[in-house]
Amino acid sequence: MARKSLKDGINNPIPVDPKYVRRGRKFSSGLDPDEYKYVGKAIARKDAKELVTGKALFLDDFTLPDMLIGKFLRSPYSHAIITRIDATKAEALPGVEAVLTYESFAELGRDVRFGYPPHKPFLSEHLRYIGDPIAVVAAVDEQTANAALDLIEVDYEVLPAVYDGLSAVAEGAPQLYEEFDHNVVPGGFPVMQSEGAYWHLMRGDVDEGFGECEYIVEDTVAFNKMCAPASPEPPGAVVRWDGGNTFTCWTASQSTDGPRTFNATVLVGATLHVQTFNVGGSYGNKQTIGYQVCSAALLSLVCGGRPVKVMQTKVEQLMAFETRLGSQVQARIGIDKDGIIRAVKGKWTVDCGGICNATQGQVAVGIGEAQIVMAKCENWDFDSALAVSNKQPAGCVRGYGGQELNSCLALLMSRAMQEGNFDPVEVYKKNYVADGDVYIWRDGLPWRAHTVNYVPIIERAAERFGWKETWKGWHTPTWTSEDGRYVRGVGCAIIGNADVGEDTSEAYVRIVPDLYGTGIKVYVHADITESGMGQRSSILRVVAESLDVPYENITIVRPESDINPIGIGLCGSRGTITYGHALANACEDLKAKLFRACEGKLHITSDLMEIRGGYVYSHTMPGNRIPIKHIEANSTISFTGYGKHVENFSIPSCVMCFIEVEVDTQTGKVDIVRMLTATDCGQIMDPAAIEMQLQGGIGAACLDTATFEENIIDQATGRPMTYNMVEYKWRTFNNFPEHESCIMESRPDSFQFNAIGVGEISGAASASATMMAISDAIGTNVAEYPATPAVILKALGKVEK
Amino acid sequence: MKTTQVSFTVNGREYTMSVGSLFGQLLPNELLIDTLRERLGLTGSKIACKDGACGCCTVIIDGDAVPSCDVLTVDCEGRSILTIEGLAAPDGTLDVVQQAFVDYNAFQCGFCTPGIIMTTRALLDKNPHPTRAEAQEALAGNFCRCISHYHVLDAIESIA
Repeated sequence: MARKSLKDGINNPIPVDPKYVRRGRKFSSGLDPDEYKYVGKAIARKDAKELVTGKALFLDDFTLPDMLIGKFLRSPYSHAIITRIDATKAEALPGVEAVLTYESFAELGRDVRFGYPPHKPFLSEHLRYIGDPIAVVAAVDEQTANAALDLIEVDYEVLPAVYDGLSAVAEGAPQLYEEFDHNVVPGGFPVMQSEGAYWHLMRGDVDEGFGECEYIVEDTVAFNKMCAPASPEPPGAVVRWDGGNTFTCWTASQSTDGPRTFNATVLVGATLHVQTFNVGGSYGNKQTIGYQVCSAALLSLVCGGRPVKVMQTKVEQLMAFETRLGSQVQARIGIDKDGIIRAVKGKWTVDCGGICNATQGQVAVGIGEAQIVMAKCENWDFDSALAVSNKQPAGCVRGYGGQELNSCLALLMSRAMQEGNFDPVEVYKKNYVADGDVYIWRDGLPWRAHTVNYVPIIERAAERFGWKETWKGWHTPTWTSEDGRYVRGVGCAIIGNADVGEDTSEAYVRIVPDLYGTGIKVYVHADITESGMGQRSSILRVVAESLDVPYENITIVRPESDINPIGIGLCGSRGTITYGHALANACEDLKAKLFRACEGKLHITSDLMEIRGGYVYSHTMPGNRIPIKHIEANSTISFTGYGKHVENFSIPSCVMCFIEVEVDTQTGKVDIVRMLTATDCGQIMDPAAIEMQLQGGIGAACLDTATFEENIIDQATGRPMTYNMVEYKWRTFNNFPEHESCIMESRPDSFQFNAIGVGEISGAASASATMMAISDAIGTNVAEYPATPAVILKALGKVEK
Repeated sequence: MKTTQVSFTVNGREYTMSVGSLFGQLLPNELLIDTLRERLGLTGSKIACKDGACGCCTVIIDGDAVPSCDVLTVDCEGRSILTIEGLAAPDGTLDVVQQAFVDYNAFQCGFCTPGIIMTTRALLDKNPHPTRAEAQEALAGNFCRCISHYHVLDAIESIA
């Protein structure tokens, strides 16, 4: 169906005139990188001992006095209407404090809707996916809560269901929400697009662009198996109603800001005080924690402020929590005789399952990432349609829309390269974003790439992998066993993201003199939740280096919304630039204050001072110094610096992935033999962290979406068959490929320490690289994710298509 | 004979629990992981799948690494159970496995780390010098989604 246009949107072609293009700026730490003491050095994480002794606190380890346990009764049908519900017996069970159904909740007179624009009622007679909450119960313990769920009587009228985006928007498809005509969700997300909704990239003249092309390919490709990021720790929340419309919330969210920002349109007008703990894996997935936070909040409200804990089981997590987006792309890509992509026309249909949880932002980022890869292309007509379906909600997962789109477009790019018999490494070198290239980012505005050039890392990675010696050409195996049964192939793909400078972050840095002696301690207020990246430790290197304070003397305060300034945490790869920049600025501000305070004591001007080891020194007369403790008469007074980072999309990141696979042509089984992940991350902040981020691209529904990870839906009932850790396939310790990290350090103007975060995209191109390797190994294109044995055997013509 | 109580040791300390359905009694269907976390306050062992599939709740029972969500507490009569909290020395000195994990940054989010460390400890107790492949096999039941596998194996190699 035709897409409605928003009159106030900014989808119209934007003049990419230099005066409209946003840019980066020039930075310097004023320090010699060769003399860094902390930045780039191997230092154990501050939480290392807690993690290996079991003392690190996660949400489920936390308890409050008088706390209740919240549990969900969930829909057994993917689409149904409740015709009768009776919770009388459950309410009468001793130990049950509250039961909320759509009927009893309506009596509260509170309209609570999830998603953007707000659409999914907290509880409703209309059930839209398997696992959709029917009722929530609060009881004194888990067993009582579970027993109460069994006592709720429900009758249903089962409705026809739809399980993918293209089918959902087709004429006659079952309608999920009255306000979403043909299941199409309006484009645009104001939080990310303050100047207007953006979902359709229009630049240049595609007809003219295709006219310049020598090779043009067109097809529909899907990446829609809705894989699960599957963090080990299930999502959950503890919430206490504090009176009025105020709640205190302890969550397993990867930031304190996520639950507040994304639930602002759900618990309208509410004040949420949020505290997080160590988070047992998130991968972008545990941001909103919408149902967990809101159900605990509302149960606490009806229970007079008793805190309520809602921890999902693993089955609930795999069955009803957010997965990767479904992605179906119909596109036409043209490449010229020199291997430059000149025109892209297409439409991306995105399936966000039963709830659209700000997926508009992911769509905009995905389209941005496509431009980063095809950065020399000036002719685009790339539209998107966002659809709801009767699958479990899909949303934020590592890659944030980029992997979903790249996994499709890279296959079409490969075909265009095949047509021209181009070496893919050379094509990526020619097309990947570099300094001066312009792209439209998620805000719908043009940005110009600033001080990045990734050709050297592409070349070095190819050399380390042995690409030239190994790759034999398209659809040509690199090795065949003597009996012909086993074949090998290699593939590569690239991806980048300009979200590394997204959103605003603030930080305070406080110097506090020791009570005895002349030592100092430094306290960092930056709202960073630890979900595995080690950033709560890594980023303190910026402070240690800027203030020349021993790393062990620096403490980052706990992640809590009320004691930290604004910062949305570590979503995407933003932590390095945004918090690094804010902290470096805070240190500069702090030093300026200290130096001003010392002018009368050292009898020199501020520009002649430096800070070292808890003293302020004169540059020119090192003996002329004063302990920070003695700057003020009251020796316990502290000094605080403030710094901020303002959103900037001018530094795109880069990760390139090389894969070698071996295919058993008799069984169709594919093994990843080796993998090389390459990046130029600017200055390395923490050597172990960057290596583990690159290795992390194997997990979290990245690499293995190419070969075996999938959320298998029973097409007759819509039920997920991969609902637990036994059925959902994941890579085990004894099945890991050889992995090599290839890292270069250039000096982009990202912030004072010239680093770039890359974690989000580390595995985002690995699935498409694997598909290329498989296609080369078996001599024919494979385009169905995941390439299971059945898919391989079909491609080889050994079983019926 | 009807079981009315069960006795076992956890980290060297003896516990005897009354079995029954009265308030505070050990229910016959109570899982060891719940007993450890809820009754004894030993929250280092983590609950993830409760299907015995992910290894996050692994403890050592009489020398074997076992997912504690797969064990009924009433079946622990006479057993000696070691959890992550009991691995370091009383003075806080880390076990050699724990220290190797610190030295090699062998964790990311750390949720699966206690289970991986306990599996490793049990492996080394039985096979002090495992090959990398033997360590991989031993850890095949331990889920880690952040992908700390390479650093974990490096850590184990360093002490094997």
